[in-house]
Formats: sequence, C-alpha cells, structure tokens
Amino acid sequence: MTELLKPVYLEDKLKQVRGDGHLQYRSRSLPTWCPGCGYFSVAEGVAAALNRLEVALKDAVIVSGIGCASRFPFFMDTYGLHTLHGRTLPVATGVKVANEKLTVIAVGGDGDAFAIGGGHIPHAARRNVDITYMVFDNGVYGLTKGQTSPTSVQGFVTPSTPYESHDQPLNPLMMLLSYGAGWVGQAYAGRPHHLADMIVEAIAHRGFSYLHILSPCVTFDKTEMTYSNLDVRVRDLPPDHDPADRMAAMEQAARTAAPALGLFFSETRPTLGDGFADVAARATGRPAGKTKAARKK
Amino acid sequence: MAEQRESTDIQFAVIGSAGDGTIAAGDILKRAMAGLGYKVIAFDIYPAEIRGFGKCISRVRVTTEQAYSLKRHSDVLVSLDDSYAIPHVGEVCDFGAVIYEASPIARQPEGGHITAHIRPTQLPYGLNQREISERATNAARSRNIVVLGYLAGLYDIDPQAFRDVIADKFRSKAAIVTTSNTAAFDAAYEVGKTVFKLDQGSLGEPVHAREGETATMMTGNGAIVRGCMDAGLDTFFGYPITPATTILERLAAELPKHGGRVLQTEDEISAISATIGAGYTGARAATATSGPGLALMAEMLGLGVMGEIPSVVFVSQRGGPSTGLPTKTEQSDLNIAVFGGAGDAQRIVLAPTNVDGCYRTAGKAFEMAEKYQTPVVVLLDLYLSNRYETVVPPAKNPFAPSMNKGLDAWRGEGAYQRYQKTDDHVSPRAVPGDEGGMHTVTGLEHSEFGKPSDLPENHMAMSAKRHEKLKAALTHPDFTICKRFGDEGPVDVGILGWGSTFGEILEAMFAAQAAGIRCSAMKVVMLSPLPEQQIVSFMDDCGAVLVPELNYEGQLANLISGALGRPVTRLNRVTGAPMQVEEILAEIRRLAQAKAA
Ligand SMILES: Cc1ncc(C[n+]2csc(CCOP(=O)(O)OP(=O)(O)O)c2C)c(N)n1
Ligand code: SF4
Repeated sequence: MTELLKPVYLEDKLKQVRGDGHLQYRSRSLPTWCPGCGYFSVAEGVAAALNRLEVALKDAVIVSGIGCASRFPFFMDTYGLHTLHGRTLPVATGVKVANEKLTVIAVGGDGDAFAIGGGHIPHAARRNVDITYMVFDNGVYGLTKGQTSPTSVQGFVTPSTPYESHDQPLNPLMMLLSYGAGWVGQAYAGRPHHLADMIVEAIAHRGFSYLHILSPCVTFDKTEMTYSNLDVRVRDLPPDHDPADRMAAMEQAARTAAPALGLFFSETRPTLGDGFADVAARATGRPAGKTKAARKK
Repeated sequence: MAEQRESTDIQFAVIGSAGDGTIAAGDILKRAMAGLGYKVIAFDIYPAEIRGFGKCISRVRVTTEQAYSLKRHSDVLVSLDDSYAIPHVGEVCDFGAVIYEASPIARQPEGGHITAHIRPTQLPYGLNQREISERATNAARSRNIVVLGYLAGLYDIDPQAFRDVIADKFRSKAAIVTTSNTAAFDAAYEVGKTVFKLDQGSLGEPVHAREGETATMMTGNGAIVRGCMDAGLDTFFGYPITPATTILERLAAELPKHGGRVLQTEDEISAISATIGAGYTGARAATATSGPGLALMAEMLGLGVMGEIPSVVFVSQRGGPSTGLPTKTEQSDLNIAVFGGAGDAQRIVLAPTNVDGCYRTAGKAFEMAEKYQTPVVVLLDLYLSNRYETVVPPAKNPFAPSMNKGLDAWRGEGAYQRYQKTDDHVSPRAVPGDEGGMHTVTGLEHSEFGKPSDLPENHMAMSAKRHEKLKAALTHPDFTICKRFGDEGPVDVGILGWGSTFGEILEAMFAAQAAGIRCSAMKVVMLSPLPEQQIVSFMDDCGAVLVPELNYEGQLANLISGALGRPVTRLNRVTGAPMQVEEILAEIRRLAQAKAA
C-alpha cells in the first residue's frame, strides 16, 4: 500500500493527470464496471502505457472478446474491436497480419481466454504474432453473474456449482510458458504502478507478449481472489530470477499459492511478420533480408 | 435407338487405378485438346482414401460448340485396368469405342476380361499397351501415355499438341522422363494411325479463341484463385478441408508473389475471425471452407453482419450433414449460407454456375463485400471446384480495386459516427490509421456512434439499415445476378437452377427444345438477397416450374416457394454425383405432357 502513504488532493491529482496526457487515451464513455472492480487499474495502466510509448490513438487497436473485461475497448479512445466470446486472439491476429504498423492489444477475461478461447492461445504464441495479450483473471465469470471459471479454485461454490466445483484450476502462466510465448509476465490490479510498467514492457516487446493480470471481481467473489487475500499472497519475483531461463520461469509459475509479480520470461525471435517477409522473399526470389539470421538463434 | 454421335462432341473416359497414371493421362489429354483450341469440360473422380490403388476416372468432353456439362454417355472409354473399367462399359454409347489391353499378363477368370462385356454395338480396340510401352521405354509404366498416342493416331489429332503437354508436365523431372514418355507416345501414335478403323471417327476443326484472346483451362477453384488475385486480395486465412483445400494451397503459392499474405490457421473459427480482423483494417480478406467449416464460422459471420465488416467466404459444398461424403458433390449448404447463425443476419450469397462464373464471382464478391460492408458467401461445390473448363480470361482486369466508402465520405458535424444514417444505408467507414475516425466495432446492437444500445427504436432502425443496404447489390455494376436462357415469352416448362447443376439444366433445356417443348431456364446467381422480381416474372411465363438440385430437402425450392409463396416442382438427387441431364429432361417431358393433357 506504499502508493497511498501520502494524502492525495483532488485538485493536484487532476492537474497532474491532465498534464501528463494519458487522459486523451480514455474515451468519453465512463466504464460500466462495478465500483472497485480491478479492471479500472488496467484501463488506467493501458492509457498510461500508450502515452508513455507515444502510440498515436489512430494507430492502436484494442481487440476484445465478450465479458466484463472485454468491455475494455469502449473505454479507450483508440480503434476498438469488441468481438465474440473467445475469439479475441484470431481476430487480433487478422488485424496485425493485415496491417503491421498497428499496435494491437488483445484483452479478455479468464473465461474468454482459457475456456471458450483456449484453443487459440497456443497458436498465437507459437506464431509469435507481434501483439500484446492481457488476460484479466478474476477467477470467475463476471458478466454472466458469478459462475465458476477455468481459473477458479477447486471447491468454489457458485450458482453453476452449488455443491462445490470439482475441476482443478488451470495454471495460465505455465501454459503460456510451455506454448512457447516469447514474453510472459504477471501483474496485479492492486499494484497499479507496477501494472502500468508491465504493460509498457509487454507492448514494447517485439513479438507475442502475454501479461496475466490478477484482478478481483468485487461483486461475485467475496472469498477467494479478493484484494485482501491477494495483497498478502502476491510476492515479487526473486531478484536473481533470470527472465531468459524458461525452466526457472516455470518453477516460479508453479508456485500458485504465492503468485509472483514481474517478468517471468522474455526472448526475442522472428515474429509472424518476419515469417511473412521470408515467405515473400522466397516466393519472389528476392533476398530474404536479415530475418534469416535471427531465425538461427 | 442408335445415338448419333457428333464428331465435334466427343467425351473420353480414362479408367484405371491410382497407380496407373489415370488422372495424369486425362490431364494430358484435356490440356492437349484445349491447346488445340477445342472447348473442354473435364472432371476426375478418385478414391477418398490416400493410397496407390482404388478406382480413378478421368472424363474429358471435347467440343467445338460451347458445352455446359459432362455427358452421361462417353464416346470413348480407355481402360487401364479392366476390373475398374468393366462396370463402366455400359456408359459407352453405341458406336462408341472401348480401348483396352489386348494382351493381359495374367490369365483372366471367366468374365474377367473386358471383351466379354463390350456390346455388339460398341467398337472394341485391343491395344498392346504394355508391350508398346516396354518396347519404347524398357518399362510398362508409360501405358497411360501409350493410350494417348493411340487416341491421337486413331482420331487424327495433332501429335505435337500432346508432345508439348508431356514436355511441360515432366519439366521438373529428369530429361529422360520426357524423352521416354514421348517415345512411348510416338510409338503408339503410329499404331493408332495405321490400325484398321472401325468407324469414321475424327474430330472436327477446333474453334480457336478470337484474335488476342488465349483460352486457358482452369478448375472452378483455380478460377476462384485467379479472381482473388485480380481483385487484389491482401490476406487469406484457411484451414484445409475437401474440396476447398486447393484454394488455400494455390493462394499460398501465388499470393506472396504479389505482396499478399496467407496463413493456415488452427481451425475455421480462427480463419473467419482473422478474415474479419483483416477486413476491419480495410484489407481485402477471404477464407475458404466447406460445409462443416461454414457451420463453425456461423457465429463470426454474424459479427461481420452486425459490425458491417467486409469479408469473403468461399464455400465448396460436399455431401452432408456432418462429415458426410467428403469427396462427393452436393448442394446442401444453401440453407446455412443464407440463414446460418444467430439473429436476423442477412448477408450476400452468390453461387456461380461454371468455371468462368467462378472467376467473375470471386472478384465481384470483394467489390460487394466492400461496397455494402458485409460478409459475402460464395457457394461452390465439389463438382464445380474440381472440374476443368476452357475459359477465355478477360484482356483487362474487370474488378474495381476499391469500392470502400471511406472516412472521406464523412460529412457529419462533430464526432465521427461509424454507423451514421445515410440515404443508401451504407455509412462512411474509418479504418485503423485514419485520423479522427476512432471507434469501437461491436457485435452488440449499437447506436450510430457504435456505442452499445438496446433501445427498441434503435434496434428497429439498425436492423432495417443492415437489410436495406443489401438491396443495392441486386443492381451491382457488371454482375449477372440471374439470367434467363432458352425460349422467350410463355413456355410450357421453366427450370430454375443454381450452382454447378445449371450446366446439366441447360443441356436438358436444349434437348427439350429440340424435342419441340417450349422451355426456358433461369440461373439464380445471387441467392441472398434474392432477385424476387426477376424470378416472379420468369415464373409468370412458365406453365410449370422445375427446380433440380443436388440436395434432399429442395433448399432453393424452399427458398423460392417460401419467399414468393409459389409452388414449384422439385427434382432432388443426393447420389454424390452431378445431376444427369436425362433425369432433368424426363421431368421436363413429364411436366410438358401434364400441361398438354
Ligand atoms: C458463444 C457464447 N457463449 C456464452 C456467452 C456468454 N458469456 C458472456 S461473457 C461469459 C463469461 C465471462 O467471463 P470472463 O471471460 O472470465 O470475463 P469477465 O466477465 O469475468 O470479465 C459468458 C459465458 C457468449 N456471449 N457467447
Ligand atoms: S461483475 Fe465483477 S468483473 Fe464484472 S465489472 Fe463487476 S466487479 Fe468487475
């Protein structure tokens, strides 16, 4: 709670926010999320990150699925594409394939990502399409009012599992690491400044970046992924953690009782766009450029 | 009754096992004939399983006049394997020829040799296929080339045309392959030339394309690819499925040469999703699939309709439902193409009827998707996708490079409204990168600004907008949405058809006219929105209306009688094979007689 040590005066805060320019990234539509929902921090974080990276509004596209989390594009003043439940990644891939110049950010909830959309994630990762994927994990289905999700704890009691859920939760970070994602990080809505920093890094990464965001649903989960629980459970990655070491990242990801925040893994390898450049070179017989060398690594 | 064979209309059927080079022989034959200037329609049938054996049939119809379908009867049957060819001897017409191996290596069991099955009215030509091949090349492998040489000699066809195709076909192989195959061809050509001819069979003079035009032979899928290329396709996403796979494969080879991008996705949902994503950026984007894939795409097509995002989906139908008959033809995905998905989700659906139509429809589909901001489904079927026809590609690219109503067309005050009300119901469309056009596209019902809105008057107005704008497609420039053939004015029998079956319909109509029945046929190329006016005035002229389709339920018949409230006579076949001209003709006769009675 270090961020709240000093009292904040509204006037000063407004002046500061207007001055730094990130408000231009927010649309006139005020978020429809419940007060206290973790998603507000993400909206702030993305606006701040785009501002810091100086991405023009017209060149950013935010693609989402369906869910509370997926309402996200409406609250930003960039281009937005609110698609179907689970189809965030393939649509985002299509956007990027068609126009490499765009900064493409895909967002969605844990159900959107790992239930209905689970089949698309490995392929976006292995293709290394140069987009950023942020999953807002609240361990519950928010929009449909509180059912269990693939990241819910075992024994979760919800309207669809009134006698406790049987299924064991997935480990998204472990999955992404084994899918070959080139950039894997975790942040927490309760630490908005760190979250914003991680979003900046994720967007700046050349290739597919996956940012897992722990984000409480204050309305439908009063017992598990709450701020009070997460505040004590989360930890920083150990200072000696080497983000080039995928196995070490997996070990950290396996410790689910104490979720670690920070950059788990990062590597640079040719992107899907590089692949298309190679294909074009081979098809036309023109030189392949520098991408070949990058592939050897 | 002896069917009088016209020398200018001859259909060859080459039958053998996959290992015999059956399909290759048919391929060389049709390419040589097309090269000489004949019109060609060809269709191959091969086994569903991937293996070295199994029955293959390559049928090639060669004509000097325009033909519209394959014939039920072949004029010449070439057997490379008697066990497969014997059941097809019956398809050879009277005075037609059967060419077979004269000295089989193994002793045949009683009835195992094809000669036991050739009727007295058919002309048997025994040919020492193996021996000629072995003598010319030291191997029996060139039997399929030997039969071609023999055919060329027998029917007095310019051998050079074959030699050229053989050289081209084996270009990538060692030079010896071409030389030995050419030697086999030449040896058999001499035999064919000198053999005692049992009929006067020779081909009439070919009709060459007009000056400055070059006829080429293409499959329906090949023409789709060409149409895509000429329309300036930017991105293509696909997932392999018979019979659409060759569209993916050919574009994968061709598109990158012209700056385009092709991605094989993880499934069809992903393919259509990426297509919609690319379409949203302003690119020309497409995917191709068959019925099972279209079923998976239905939800995303709805987003395309709701978000008014251009996209093109090529659907080559095969037998259904479910996995169905993956290697057989059918026309049973009309319902899902027109209606599939949630809600009132009208989109444009087009169905070309021949290979040339595939080219035009493919290119026009991109124009329409852009102009009316909608998904466009192009319905093909296995028969159309895979059959070859000679076509004359237009000298000038007939497709508009862009028909997008862009942000420039925005004349509003204040903030940009993506779904602004306009006279033609099409709103100016900003795409990412456009300054001042930022908006969010959503599958939720939305206001003119694109903001979610479920107000009753809004949903009424927006539903109307999405449907009304499509009506303009009925008058899309330079595109035939439907067309009447045959007799003008009142007729005894009118035939309404769509897709590949229209070829058989035309042939049946000509035959009926020749038999003195007043008859005309209308092809319906645009199936959504339906050209109701034209169909109604056609039906007004008809004593009876026949709708032949390769599906069980009568999907076009249902569409027409549902939309127009008029009765039609149905003719439905689901044999996995194209409709037979004779079946349609019999129905025309029956209806004409019923009317006369
Ligand atoms: C095909 C389809 N199935 C189901 C739904 C209903 N639905 C909407 S959101 C949602 C789950 C939302 O949970 P999550 O993705 O975790 O996002 P959250 O609302 O928690 O942010 C479901 C099941 C839908 N819109 N579409
Ligand atoms: S229901 Fe939960 S996830 Fe949805 S907005 Fe409210 S707090 Fe956030």
